[in-house]
Amino acid sequence: MILATHLGKRYGAKVAVDDLSFEVRPGLVTGFLGPNGAGKSTTMRLMLDLDRGAGETLFDGRRFARLRHPMREIGAVLEARAFHPTRTARNHLRMLAAGSGIPASRVDEVLEFVGIADVARRKPKGFSLGMAQRLGLAQALLGDPGTLILDEPANGLDPHGIHWLRDVLRALAAEGRTVFVSSHLLSEMELMADELVVVGRGSMIYSGKVDGFVSEFTRSTVLVRSPESAVLAAALRALDGVSVEPTDDGGLRVAGADAVTIGDVAFDNGVRLHELATTTASLETAFMTATGDASEYVAVAHG
Amino acid sequence: MADALRFEWVRLRTLRSTYWLIGSALVLNVAIALLVASLVADPTPDVVAAAVTGGGANTPVPMAVVLLAVVGVFASGHEYRYGTIQPTLTTVPQRARLFTAKVLVVGATALVVTTVSVLLDVAATLPFWADTPALTGVTVIGYVLLAVLWAVVGVAFGQLLRGVPGALTVILVMPMVVEQLIFRLSYVPALDWLHPVVKFLPFTAGMQLVSAAGEASGGLASEVGLFSRWPSAAVFAVFVAAVLAAAVTLFRRRDA
Repeated sequence: MILATHLGKRYGAKVAVDDLSFEVRPGLVTGFLGPNGAGKSTTMRLMLDLDRGAGETLFDGRRFARLRHPMREIGAVLEARAFHPTRTARNHLRMLAAGSGIPASRVDEVLEFVGIADVARRKPKGFSLGMAQRLGLAQALLGDPGTLILDEPANGLDPHGIHWLRDVLRALAAEGRTVFVSSHLLSEMELMADELVVVGRGSMIYSGKVDGFVSEFTRSTVLVRSPESAVLAAALRALDGVSVEPTDDGGLRVAGADAVTIGDVAFDNGVRLHELATTTASLETAFMTATGDASEYVAVAHG
Repeated sequence: MADALRFEWVRLRTLRSTYWLIGSALVLNVAIALLVASLVADPTPDVVAAAVTGGGANTPVPMAVVLLAVVGVFASGHEYRYGTIQPTLTTVPQRARLFTAKVLVVGATALVVTTVSVLLDVAATLPFWADTPALTGVTVIGYVLLAVLWAVVGVAFGQLLRGVPGALTVILVMPMVVEQLIFRLSYVPALDWLHPVVKFLPFTAGMQLVSAAGEASGGLASEVGLFSRWPSAAVFAVFVAAVLAAAVTLFRRRDA
């Protein structure tokens, strides 16, 4: 269980993280979603006491810097290539194991697990981004921790690798671990996460189930064309919760009513229809709606 | 603390540059010892000291000392150059403890390497010189101490400047260019007010540790009025302590 309260960080006048509070529960994969530059990495650095800022993060009630062997409780990877280019993958992990009281034999186990045992004795400067990400995951798993914090772990993985990562993270969560993983791609999070914490411009946008995010930010609209569009628009606007926007080419974009309802309204009013087409906003669009302008959302949420 | 020391020890051992730098220092010093011993048949204590300390006070700075300072710079500077500070701090989050471990491991390495180096240099002179040089000579002790202080100040500058290039520049330019310049300028009559400053040039003062006559810089020290060996050593040690304190204070305070 991770409990982050009132995390904040500013660089001069620029606010990078603005009063973020959230909870990451064990047994689930929690996605930390936001566009690039939304403050995800800074938030993670604040959680791990790497950056100095406001607020505090408690891991099962304790701050990170108070842990005697943090690697055995929290596996964290923030940068894909945080290793010396000529220190072999195996030696990199042995070094971290030595500092955490972890037996060296565990190093070969995790390298085997993430599938890079065959390059364990090679210098990582030649590693592809995907291999570097696997070494990062090996590093996170080294201490067999109950909590994982991973920044963009799917970045650089091929589709096969992303599915593998999903299965690994889901399996780890199913064992009762707390998994907190960031991404700027909703499609990745849809695959991996059960819960979402969504941020934009350093502020909280959404926290809860993945499905809830999708239904909250995805709206279907219907495009209608009619020779008597003024009459139809007036009739539709009379309905509760329906909004009608004229499009540039003389059509109407209707939100809040489905095609069936619109067809019935047209029939009742004797209006001929030339086109009636439903457009479902993609999840990526929902994400853009949610994070593109954080202040706009705040107005919707409280309105 | 034991965990942090183990971490640092493995870090040092798994870096190729450690072996290159230490190997070069040992080989270079043996070469100097062989050269001096083969060329000088009847050595004065000065020459003996120069032979077993890789040139001693005759060089701007003994080569092995500079190479060990580079080992020190790498200990902290590499963390920033390669971004390993994140895995390092998520392994050992207590920053003062981590920094202390780096200083201790690098300092101990410098101590062992220079001691071994002196022994190798003595061995190299044996075929040429009848008498074994007195190893307890203050110059030899001063040499080992100088190496430890340089290595440690390397760690401190690497941490303070959070990288390798800046720290290397300071370590090389400050003693060999800046201090030498001030030292030389103090000979200009119009600039003789620099004399009191020269005493407190930290790296120049440190060189008094390896001076066989207790005076560095070609015996000109007394003209400028440098302190003798141990007071000069104290000047350098205070400087090293100040850089260490600044490094650890900022390390604890700043974002990693």
